[in-house]
Formats: sequence, structure tokens, C-alpha cells
Amino acid sequence: MMMMELRETCSDGPDRGYHGYQQSLRSRRGPSRMSRDGPPHLDLASSEDEDPPSRTPQKLAMPMGIKKAVRQLQHMQVPVSSKRTRHSRALKHFYAEAKETLAILIPWRKAIHKIGGHFGGGVQSYFVFLRFLVVLNFLSFLLIAGFVLIPSVVLSSPNNTPSIPNGTNITGKELCMKYDHSPEVLPVFYTFFLDLLSGTGFMEYTYLFYGYYSNTVAESKGVSYNVPLAYLLTASFYFLFCLVCIILRMGNVVRVLVTTGSGGERGYSARVFTDWDYGLQGDRATGLKQNTIRYRLQVDLEEDRIRLRAASLSPGQTVGLYALRALLNLVVIALIIAAFFGIAEATSFSQREAVKWTGVVGLLLEFLPSIVITASNFVVPFLCDQIARLEKLSPSTTVIVALLRAVFLRLVSLGVLLFTLWSQITCSGKADDTDCKICRYNSAQYQCWESRVGQEMYKLTLFDFLTTMVLLVLVEFPRRLLVDHCSCKLTRWVGRQEFLVPPNVLALVYGQTVVWTGALFCPLLPLINTIKFFIIFHCKKATLFQNCRPAIKSFRSTSSNFFFCLVLLFGWILSTVVLIYSMAEIHPSFGCGPFRFSPTMWSVIQASIDNLTKTTQDFFNIIGSLAFCVPLFLLSCVVLSYVAALASVYGKSVAILREQIKQDGRDKQFLVKQIKDLTRILGVPKHEEDQYDPGASWGDHHASASPPQYLPNVHSFPSASHY
Amino acid sequence: MGNKQTVFTAQQLDAYQVSSAQVKLYHRYRDLAPQLVPLDYTKEPDVKLPYELIGSMPELKDNPFRQRIAEVFSEDGEGNMTLDDFLDMFSVLSEMAPRDLKAYYAFKIYDFNNDDFICKSDLEKTLNKLTRNELTEDEVRMVCEKVMDEADLDNDGRLSLEDFQHMIIRAPDFISTFHIRI
Repeated sequence: MMMMELRETCSDGPDRGYHGYQQSLRSRRGPSRMSRDGPPHLDLASSEDEDPPSRTPQKLAMPMGIKKAVRQLQHMQVPVSSKRTRHSRALKHFYAEAKETLAILIPWRKAIHKIGGHFGGGVQSYFVFLRFLVVLNFLSFLLIAGFVLIPSVVLSSPNNTPSIPNGTNITGKELCMKYDHSPEVLPVFYTFFLDLLSGTGFMEYTYLFYGYYSNTVAESKGVSYNVPLAYLLTASFYFLFCLVCIILRMGNVVRVLVTTGSGGERGYSARVFTDWDYGLQGDRATGLKQNTIRYRLQVDLEEDRIRLRAASLSPGQTVGLYALRALLNLVVIALIIAAFFGIAEATSFSQREAVKWTGVVGLLLEFLPSIVITASNFVVPFLCDQIARLEKLSPSTTVIVALLRAVFLRLVSLGVLLFTLWSQITCSGKADDTDCKICRYNSAQYQCWESRVGQEMYKLTLFDFLTTMVLLVLVEFPRRLLVDHCSCKLTRWVGRQEFLVPPNVLALVYGQTVVWTGALFCPLLPLINTIKFFIIFHCKKATLFQNCRPAIKSFRSTSSNFFFCLVLLFGWILSTVVLIYSMAEIHPSFGCGPFRFSPTMWSVIQASIDNLTKTTQDFFNIIGSLAFCVPLFLLSCVVLSYVAALASVYGKSVAILREQIKQDGRDKQFLVKQIKDLTRILGVPKHEEDQYDPGASWGDHHASASPPQYLPNVHSFPSASHY
Repeated sequence: MGNKQTVFTAQQLDAYQVSSAQVKLYHRYRDLAPQLVPLDYTKEPDVKLPYELIGSMPELKDNPFRQRIAEVFSEDGEGNMTLDDFLDMFSVLSEMAPRDLKAYYAFKIYDFNNDDFICKSDLEKTLNKLTRNELTEDEVRMVCEKVMDEADLDNDGRLSLEDFQHMIIRAPDFISTFHIRI
């Protein structure tokens, strides 16, 4: 009997099904006024109980035509599975799946999501940046290991005698070739730890530092591998690789910034009504989403408040505020210059006086530059923060400005340290100085100056890491314990600490710059840095959740992401300058390393080119010559201007489209007003006006046909009840 | 899914074009209360599952709007759903429903007092559900004001369906967020 019933209903076809649906939907709409019309505003009912008797025959006839049109539209809406659409859909599906599976490879996705939910987008952007640096360092380590470390290990010959290439004159340079790296015969027990921390002693002559790599063309089982060339090219390629990664990341961030505007233009209504993801399951995910929405709304509100306050100032007050900001910027610049001079003065003072004193005073004088640098790194940002409070900028801008100011200071202090090293190694560039005359570098103090520089960078990295850990353990955890358990006035005033993003980002940029500077001299430094940043990620996450209170004011992370990358680029530029100078200008040590007997590191490349065939040499000569470079430069200028023009065109179209959306809203407003006026004038009853609303498109209404059509090929199956 | 045999034969599935998605939904509906929902739906049983069972589904359990969703799609307006209502609900919330249909039902969900307009109090309730009551009164008031400024086209202090639909057009990710996968 079921089959018969079904066949009956079947015979009426889609018409009845659709019609029945309308009824089924309508009968649900008890209290609502719109129930008469149902979702699509199509009143097909001829046997509707709630129909007002005033329905004219004309109105009944009309629906038949509409019914036909609707049926046609229904058929059109069933997706036509042509081959092309099927292929494109399959391709889209494949891309989505591939993206999802690749996303699993991204580390710490859940952790970062949780951080964003609990502490807002600002803190989350710090952890995203840290993750980027960990991945960058790890990939760099793989690069270096693959091209320098593993070939050196595999192809190293047991007797590491340096081969002297033909044609180099080393008479009189025996002193320079002396390199005493064997550890002391009877070391004191703590020298092991001292050596571990400072890279001297047993650690100096290992794969960790430049000095261990041979300058031979390693040959083993018929495979020849030019270690010096590989070393140099890998270092150069490593820098280029990092630059490309940073630029790509900046490009991504800028794209997000341009398309979504710098935030506030998204609109509160869109955020309130469309931000909630109905597919979220689980208490934790929904809690995080609710927190995220709350943070974003608060950030927007804060920025609007500031904008309102700025707009409400009189012209005189605005001018006063800008004058104040200019003055404060000058003060900050003066502070940074003062710090710079202080560091330089302390360094030269220490150099002059340290040799005259011994004991504790001598030690203090030796460490004077480091003390001054550390002090200025604490004092100047603190002063800048206080100054920033007077400037009354929005939270996002404050973070960016604080970061830019502090980064100059940090990088300047690193630059001063490097300058000191340089002046000691090359006797301040004076080639005629007694110490530097024979070997062209200070071989008395620095038998293997590259390893020394590598050791300095290694020490800086370790010291930075130890400082972070010590601060965490000795300052942050006790502070929380104190605040939680002791309720005196002081602890209540100090309170739980807040996770400050600019100083932390700065520490990351400083650490990465040190690693880049030292990578040429200490090839395993990227690996050490990967491990260091990995540990820092977990420790910072732990301290965030245990010790910090959620920020009262979060800042917008899209613009700050861009500035983190920009600041990283500054660091990269500093280390590139160091790299190019060391490769091209300073004479490599005679006693150690892969470039032992070359005048500069770069000359290895010239030597290898000379070993290639004549045509390749001609090729390289042409590339290097002016006749090639000038046209290439002009071509790059043309391409650059084309890309800039394209970018400005896209920017303009984005602005035009935004304007168009606003204009649509105003048009709709106008049309709605027109409708209201017309209906008032014509005296048409309200329910008809709802149906034949000319303001809305016809397509809109027909598109909202009965719901189950959109589960594929469906009529409701317990429809027996409705017939 | 052996139960399929008792509800429909393969011939009926063909003739009547009942999709596998709907059969899956029927089984989910039945799993909520196996003793209430009969296996054989041919005799038009009048079965309504109470809201508590619907609201305990894992897809809806943590959604702050689950009560409104159930009320909007249920026949009696109280959240007690028949199989029909259940199918309607997941049909609208599926990825294939058109945007205007979703906008229509989203509007009804956010209209807490069922007066066919989203007024200020409806907005405030929506906002509090979105942020778990953690915004201050001041902030709630300011956000509601801004939403009204942006979306209210006819300036009557409340959002009608047209205002809402116009705003949805400008939000490209609405279709993907107003979507429950089942």
C-alpha cells in the first residue's frame, strides 16, 4: 500500500511536491506575520486556509504563470553536470583537499589558535612570527648541512694537511700559519663548561666553526667536491634564500592588508551577523571563537574612539598635538644618538684603559661596552614607552612605533660590537700597523680570526638564550607567585604581568640578526638557533598561560605583521653588509679554514671560473661587463615601473569597488523611500506591496525556493502526510 | 545501514528520488530517540522530538544560537521538531542552499521576538550570545548603534529583511559560516 500511495503522489509530479512544500513550510509559520508569504514571497496556494477571502481571481491566475517560471528556474538550478563544470569542480575539490593536508604539516597550529583565542590577535602575531623564524632556521640548516657539512664529513681525508695551491708566495708567512688549537693538557674541571659556553678549547676545532673545514678539493671514490667553493656559495645562497622568504611573507601580509583594508572598514554589522561559524563543535572551539570576536570588536571600538577623539579636537588642538608628536620624536632620536655615542665612547675608553689595569677593575673595564649596551637596551625603550603614552596614538600604531624605535637601538649596539671586532682584527684598517704588516690581519691576537668572530656570535646567541631563561625563571614565575599569594599593596599595584609584544619581537629580530652575521663563520649556528627558538616558543607559551593576564587592549595584527617582517629585513641588511665586507675585503686566516691561501674569500670563485672551459669564462666575463649590466639595469627599471603601475591600478579598482558598494547602499535607501512614498500615494494594501516589491530583484525571490531542493534531487519523503 | 530496507525499497528510492543524504538525516533523527521514532514512515506518524533532544546533538550542542535555530525551524515555534522540520533545518544549513534562503533563515534566527524586524534588543541579545556576555554595557550599546548606522537603510531604527539581505550581499563568507556539516 505504500507503493500505491507513493505512486499517487508521484503522478502529480513536481508541481504537487513543490506546492505541498509550500504548504508544509507555511503551516509552520504560526506567529510570524510573514507566514502567509513563506520564504519566496510566492503565494501559490489555492486551497490555503489562511487566505483572506479578498483574494481576487486575477491574483489566482497570476500564480500559474509564476508556477511555470518557478518550475523552469528549478530545473535550471539543478546543477548541469557538463564535463567542464565537473572538471572544474573536481579540480577545486582537489585543491581544497591538498591545502587541508598541507595545513597539517604546519606546526603548532592548534597552540597558536588557542593563544589567539585567549589573548587576542596581537600576542598571536608574535607566536606566528616566531614559528616563521623556526621554520626558516630549520630550512637554512638543511641547506647548509646538505651542501657543506655532510660532504665535508663524508669526503674528509684522514690527514688534514692543507694543500698549498700553486703560485702563492708564502715565504715569510710561517708565523701566520701557526694555529694552536689543541686544548690544554691538564684542564681544570670547570673549563669544560666554560668551553661549552664560549666555544673555545675543545669546541673550537670542530665542525662548529669555520676553522675546521678543509681547503682541499675533497676526492673520494671518484667524486670530487670543491669544499671552499661550496662553502662560499652556500653562504651566499643562504642569505638570498632568507631574503626571498622574508619578501614573500611581506607580500602575503601586504596583500591581506590591501584587500581587507586596515581593518575597520569591514563593518560592525558584517562582524556581528556573519562572523559566527555555525560549523564549530566543542566547547573549547566555540569559547575561543567567542573570545576572538570579542577581541576584534574591542579593537575596532578602541580605534573608533581614538578616531572620534582626534576628529573632535579643534584645529588649534590638532596642531598642538602634532607639534607635540614632532617634538617627542626629536627627543627619541636624540636619546638614540646619545646612546650610540655613549657606547662608542665606552668601547674606546675600555680599549685604552683595560690594558693598564688588572684584576676586578680590569675585568669591569673589559666588560664596560657590554654593560653600557645592556643598560641602554633597558633604559631607552622604557623612556620611549613613557613618551609614547603622551603621544596618544592608537594601540596598533603605538606598537609599530615602539618597535621601530627600539630596533634601531638594538641594531646600533650590535653594529658597534662588530666595528670593535673589525678594528681589532684589521688594526682599524691600517695595513702598515706593526701587528698587521705580515699577514694583513692581527695574527698575534687572532690566529684564526674567523673562528673568533664565530665564537663571539655563538656567545651572543647563548647569552641571549640564557638571559631569556633566567628572566623567565627568576622574574616572571616568582612575580606571579608573589602576586597570587601575597596581597599587600605593592603586589596589587604591580599586578600580574602583561605579555608585551614589541620587546619580545625585538629580541627575536636581534637573535636572528646575530645568527645571520655569524653564519659564515659558524655554519652550525642556524641549527643552534632552531633549537633555541623552539625552546623559547614552548617556554613563552608556558609563561603566557601561567603568568600573564589577558591584555586589556589588543592591537590589530595585520599591520603589525608587516612591520615585524620589515624590522627583520633591517637586521638582514646589517648582516649582509658584514658578509660582503668579510668576503671581499679581509684577508682570510693562513692557519685555518677553507680559504687559507687565497687573498680574499671571493677569489676562490675567480679561481674556479678559471678552471672552466673558455666559453664559460667568456660567458661570465660578458655577464660581468658593463655592456651587459647597464641594459639589464635599464630593463629592471622598466619592469619595476610596470609593476608599480599595475599595483596602483589594482589599488584604484579596490577603492572604486568599495565606493560602489557604498553607492549601492545609498541607491537602495533611495528606492525604499520611493516605494514607501508611492505606496502611500497609491494606497495599495501592505501585503501586496510585500509581494511585488520592485526594489528587490525578481531573481532573488525565485531563488529562494523550497529548502529540500538543495539536498540533491529531493522531495520530502514523509510527504504522504501532506497530500 | 540495514534499516534502509524497511523504510524504502530500492525501487522507491529510484522512483521517488529520495537522496542518500536525506536517509542519513533520517537515521540521525532516529538515533536521537529510537523508541519514539518508528522505523516505518509510511503511515505518516506524528512524531515530534522535544527540543532537549535536538539541542543535545553534537553539531548543535555548543552553538549559542541553538535554541533560536530549533525554534525557527520547528512547526510549533517551541523547538520541538518533526522529521520534516529536521530535514528543512539541515537542508538550509547545508552548503548547497542558496544565499538568499540562508539569509532569510538567519534573519529569523536573529529576530528573537519574532516581530519580523531585528530591533535593538534583538541585536543586544545576539551580541551577548556572540561574546558570552563579556562585553561591557557601554561597548554593547556602541556596537549596536554602529550596526544600526551601517545596516538600517530605511532609518526606522530596526533592521528589516531587506536591510539584512543587503548587508549579507557585502559579506562574502556568509555562505561558508552559515553551514553545518552533517
